[in-house]
Amino acid sequence: MTDTKLEIGHELSSGGLTTTGTGSKVTKVLGVAALVAIGLQLLFGLYYSGPEVVQGEAVRLFYVHVPSVLTAYLGFGITLVASIIYLRKGSQFWDLVAGSAAEIAVLFCAFTLFTGAVWGKPTWGVYWQWDPRLTSTTVMFVMYLGYLAVRRLDLEPRVRSRRAAVLGIVSFLNVIIVHYSVDWWRGLHQQATFGVDTKLDGLMLFSFFLGLVAFTVVFAWLLIHRFRVSWLEHQLRLARLDEALVERRAEGTIDGTTGAIS
Amino acid sequence: MAEVDLTPEDRTETVRKGSRSPRNILIMSVICLALGFVLFQALTNARIFFLNVDEAVAQQSELGDKRFRMQGTVTTVPDTKDDGSLFFAVAFNGEQADVRHIGDAPSALFECNTPVVIEGRWIENTFESELITVKHSEEYEEANEERLEEAYKPVGSSC
Repeated sequence: MTDTKLEIGHELSSGGLTTTGTGSKVTKVLGVAALVAIGLQLLFGLYYSGPEVVQGEAVRLFYVHVPSVLTAYLGFGITLVASIIYLRKGSQFWDLVAGSAAEIAVLFCAFTLFTGAVWGKPTWGVYWQWDPRLTSTTVMFVMYLGYLAVRRLDLEPRVRSRRAAVLGIVSFLNVIIVHYSVDWWRGLHQQATFGVDTKLDGLMLFSFFLGLVAFTVVFAWLLIHRFRVSWLEHQLRLARLDEALVERRAEGTIDGTTGAIS
Repeated sequence: MAEVDLTPEDRTETVRKGSRSPRNILIMSVICLALGFVLFQALTNARIFFLNVDEAVAQQSELGDKRFRMQGTVTTVPDTKDDGSLFFAVAFNGEQADVRHIGDAPSALFECNTPVVIEGRWIENTFESELITVKHSEEYEEANEERLEEAYKPVGSSC
């Protein structure tokens, strides 16, 4: 069995895999940049920027809540583009990019719902309300959970990838609904802060952008690692297939080396 | 170093796999149920999505004792009675309504001049509220004394 086992960290030649892990110079730089950005965001979000005139200290949740949902949009956008390219080219690379981006984006979406609830209690007075923005965000979250579930179905890999790609494209329609829900319907949730008349005083705007940078860098770091894990899993499946073929061929020979059929 | 078993899997199992396997059906059922629950809540609650105060006043007879949400700005200093109920008035588009709140205490941001969404029903000419939620603006201003004095005060406000 030694020839069919692989020690993680050792090079796997089968399937063309040459990496020994998911880290690289790029991810190391991104990791350090993410830590620095998070540190700066904490400093500005919690210390340098002041309380808001109406919400007081609760406004500090704005610096994580909005960047979080924008990062989720980015992830779902990548899933959309990668799904379209997958359907056109049939490349496994884009299928894995789509799945990896959706996984990370769902995490950010869950964080958005959580921070929204935490922010809602001291400001609105309730953790939750069936408001158009909150409801559509929850629908978006569940739909992308469904997308991830489809990626785990017991199906022939190509069929599964194609179904996931179609769902990855269809689900993005909900991102548009979420974004415009505050304009299309009356609700408790405030309108979009960023537009023609953006009004964020003093260091609030800077703290927000720091948050956006921090979340984006964290997203990029997670995405690269997640994609590489998916790629390793994919290569491992190919390696298993190769090993299985070798074993089957060996079973069909006299002594396992000559290749002569018994 | 962790070891990964690369023993070839039993392919006969894979051949049997299909979209109707019990695992697939279970996964998709859970997702569909979750989505169905959210959509059901959204659609049933859509009946009590928001009416502005002027619309609620205009439709008072049609609304009867139906539960709905009403949006407006608090225009009087909230007055707490001995029985714990809270009296105040809300206005929107020049129309005003008296409110008696009998539910949980609203958030600490609730005060005169605050935009609110209240949930309840008409009892004669008073809106009986069971839930007060405070709306906040999409504009964010750092707190300082001068700006507090400049705070927006709606027409007709007695705050």
